[in-house]
Amino acid sequence: MEIFPAMLSVITDPTLLFAIVLAAAVGMIVGATPGLTASAAIAMLLPITFYMPPLFALAFLYVIGKSGRYGGSIAAILFNTPGTAASAATQIDGYPLARAGKAGKAMKVATISSVIGDLMGDILLVVGVGFIAAIALKLGPPETFAIYFAAFVVIGSVIGNSITKGLASAIMGILIAMIGLDPISSEERYTFGSFDLSNGIGLVPLMIGVFVLGEVFAQMESRRKATGDVEENESEGDGNALTWEEYKPCLPHALRGGFIGAGIGVLPGLGSAIAAFISYGEGKRRATNPEKWGKGALEGVAAPESANNAVSGPSMAPLLTLGIPGSTIGAILLGVFLIHGIQVGPTLFLTDKELVYKLFACGMLGIVAYGFIGYFGATQVAKLILKIPTNVLYPLIFLTAFVASYSARGSMFDVTVMTVAGFGGWLMRKYDFNIAAFVISFVLAKGAEETFRQSLLMSDGGALIFVERPVALGFLLLGVVAIAFRVRGMMKERKLAQGGLGDA
Amino acid sequence: MRAYAEGLVLIVISLVALWGAWQVPGATPGDTWAGIVPFSASLALLLLSGVMILGASQQTATGEDKTDHAATFEFIGLFLIALIYQQSFRWFGYLLPTAIVAPIVLYMFGVRSWIGLALSVVICPLVFHVIFFELLGVFPPFGEVFDLLDWIKG
Repeated sequence: MEIFPAMLSVITDPTLLFAIVLAAAVGMIVGATPGLTASAAIAMLLPITFYMPPLFALAFLYVIGKSGRYGGSIAAILFNTPGTAASAATQIDGYPLARAGKAGKAMKVATISSVIGDLMGDILLVVGVGFIAAIALKLGPPETFAIYFAAFVVIGSVIGNSITKGLASAIMGILIAMIGLDPISSEERYTFGSFDLSNGIGLVPLMIGVFVLGEVFAQMESRRKATGDVEENESEGDGNALTWEEYKPCLPHALRGGFIGAGIGVLPGLGSAIAAFISYGEGKRRATNPEKWGKGALEGVAAPESANNAVSGPSMAPLLTLGIPGSTIGAILLGVFLIHGIQVGPTLFLTDKELVYKLFACGMLGIVAYGFIGYFGATQVAKLILKIPTNVLYPLIFLTAFVASYSARGSMFDVTVMTVAGFGGWLMRKYDFNIAAFVISFVLAKGAEETFRQSLLMSDGGALIFVERPVALGFLLLGVVAIAFRVRGMMKERKLAQGGLGDA
Repeated sequence: MRAYAEGLVLIVISLVALWGAWQVPGATPGDTWAGIVPFSASLALLLLSGVMILGASQQTATGEDKTDHAATFEFIGLFLIALIYQQSFRWFGYLLPTAIVAPIVLYMFGVRSWIGLALSVVICPLVFHVIFFELLGVFPPFGEVFDLLDWIKG
């Protein structure tokens, strides 16, 4: 029950409360702006948080991530453009509702459902994280490496359209992380005689390059393909008000979505988009009015929105207990922990338990903050976004990327790394490689290597240690099974597509 | 064709990575080889590249990809500006390159207001300088050839 004193401590700190509310507003605006993502905003703001106390920095970025997930629904409902991949499922029913003059109603359903899902996810995290940490403390290097291996394979193969490109992205992330001095023997790897490279590639410039500069490059290219101005759908008459009778049928869908999202959130790499679509599909299957889904059903907004946000809390569980980030936002937060000298993993709950629970408390207050702002001001936020001129916004982001990457360590080499990473990020976007798998693997690689080599030393060089220990073997098999399932799913899709063409 | 090219590029990357891993000196007795993970990862990447090439050979041609050359040229222009901009920090510090690059990038993104572009020459470097180098206290990059900040401060 450590959460209650932590909550009290956060509530009585006005500066922290202000940061939470500010982060909720910033996240919502970023999430709702098409083309901008919470990951990009967090990467850009990361250097600024160097100068903040650890809890302040973590809470600020964590709440931006949460609020950004919710903010995506604003653009999905009002502009028919999902602000994030996860809100694409919300768009299916949200936009028809907006077209019918019920934009305000849809926004309120999205807000309430997001708050319900997110709070459910956080409560499950608070209840279960200590238990997972206790188990994690008993794992040895072979088991931990097997978990890393499973994470690499699942992240590489499950996200994105191509298994080979996903796995290749993950491997490239590992190779980039190998640049520099070997932490065990201090041998140089991939430095090619460069002193700068011997210090390795920094997480901050890499993140800023891939997420921020890469996005600016992509926007530059896609600017020509833009089809014109985005139209906002105004609410008419009673389209803004939401009664309890209207929300009542949505509640079971929101609660189910919360459990689906929380369950998926614990598994690294699956993410909120998958949770939102599974919840939407499951909701439609169980709905009393499935014929209305897709044409403007309020339940069709509640189900994906709740699941999408419920992912946020539980995705912190593998990060905090094992040091394995389940999402790109998790990978960036891991960087913040390391920058502030906090070792993430099972021992975190022994050394910095108070900080962790305070962070959870900040997350919960952040949910309340974005809930209030969204319920009463989502349409105002939408109007504000329509007024942001993208032809000014992206040049400013371009300039910020350079100064932010320099500020991280005051290193010009980091600025060069950021520029090259920006080019790499653009290439990966253009050729459908998997940026999330690349970044998460980059972050995981060092830990995976350490546990792999420790395991080899334990067994005197034999790789059989991973097969002899049942938990390790289980996780290795999990990776193989994940690939097998994905291949099977893709083959099924291909057969269906061929069948469909044949029928035509 | 595109799938072949992607596979070939990955093969080149994996071969360079393999060669790089091979350069890592051998392990001392009782230790593990520092190149074992890079070597294994490069090998796995080489294998995946092979799979990609195989997959490409089984694909049927679906017509040529339509590429917007003007958009690609605009991107290349912006990337070149990015490269020159980051290098010019070393030569001219932060203020001067930012004052020059800000209106160029704004123009590339479609800003055509001459007053706006002229204002960006002063406002962009000033605002970023105040936020990062004054408020956050980061030490600004020093220009080896000429530094506007140094000149302003006398």
